[in-house]
Amino acid sequence: MKTEDLIDALAAGIEPVRPARLDPALLAWAGGAAAVAVILLLGARSDLTQALQAPTPWVKAIYTAALAQTAIWLATRLGRPGLDPRPALFALLAVVGIAVAWGGIEMVLTPPDQRMAGWLGQTWDICGRNIVLVSAFAAPLVFLSARRLAPTRPTTAGLALGLATGGIAATAYGLLHCGEATAAFVATWYTLGVAAAGLIGAAVGRFALRW
Amino acid sequence: MGCCVVDKEAELKRLMLRGLDGDPVAWRALLTEMRGALTPFFKRRLTGCEADAEDLVQDCLIAIHAKRATYDRSLPFTAWAYAIARYKLIDHFRRQGRRHDVPLEEASVLLADHTVEDGVVRRDLKKVLSILPLRQRRLIEDVRVGGFSLAEAAQRNGFTEGAAKVSVHRSMKTLVASVNPNED
Repeated sequence: MKTEDLIDALAAGIEPVRPARLDPALLAWAGGAAAVAVILLLGARSDLTQALQAPTPWVKAIYTAALAQTAIWLATRLGRPGLDPRPALFALLAVVGIAVAWGGIEMVLTPPDQRMAGWLGQTWDICGRNIVLVSAFAAPLVFLSARRLAPTRPTTAGLALGLATGGIAATAYGLLHCGEATAAFVATWYTLGVAAAGLIGAAVGRFALRW
Repeated sequence: MGCCVVDKEAELKRLMLRGLDGDPVAWRALLTEMRGALTPFFKRRLTGCEADAEDLVQDCLIAIHAKRATYDRSLPFTAWAYAIARYKLIDHFRRQGRRHDVPLEEASVLLADHTVEDGVVRRDLKKVLSILPLRQRRLIEDVRVGGFSLAEAAQRNGFTEGAAKVSVHRSMKTLVASVNPNED
């Protein structure tokens, strides 16, 4: 095709557009998929209605939702060519920093003989694995929600989308299934689970996000 | 040259914003302008296989069209457009399985003023300009960096237009001599 003809064809078909972002409807579906995956694969905790009346699961959810939110912001900035992604990256690191500091302070205030028990809880060895497992169900929707963007760094954008997926999955997992209640546990094992989802996202993004 | 580059950016950005609102005339003009700028951009980086340049230009125009919603209105248009061009070029090399470095510094010729926003460049620019007397420096900054016309800049700094012209000319000579040791 001649370039002149291409330009004519493109100009003839132009329509007004709104600024691109991650599709919020698909992100909501991803949240739904994560909740369904938790319930079907892992089962809801038996004391769910009581547990959700206490603040602890919600505090965990605020942390993991903040991870998801800042990761979504990061993915959006990475998806706009020429835009500096660092503000979003700093926000994401600040969220993690706050959680880690909170967990650290909590551990200092805990009597030394109970520290290990508080930090490892009952489920430290399966927490990350479960978050990655749930992420696998939410990830296709999260990646699909980014299809209007134009990431010039597909691997990094994949990392951001993976972290967003992990944050969504961890929120569903923390609210519906996991009974762990110490900040140190959440700051360590949840964060590692979300980070693992991010790394898988980076590997996927390298190929899936090219355009 | 500095003022023309700024004007070019302003012109392209105006076309881009109208294109985002669905104006086919502005969009056609923008794509035509970009074709003219992208062809040498790719040719220069594809020595030995210039034939690919036309394909890449088309690829890039399609991407500019299809991904126009990713343009952030707070950015210079050229910053966005050449980020896409660079991505397409890197993608092209990757598909060919060759490793290439895409020199960033050359982009400044085309992208113009967003690199001036860059902290490093701005610092260097400040350092270079600092050798000029204050009044002369303000004039140069307005004309070459700020994007004012000569007449506006002259008025802002209390020069007549003729005097401003001479002052800018002298300042440029001084500046070029200061950064180019071969010329003195």
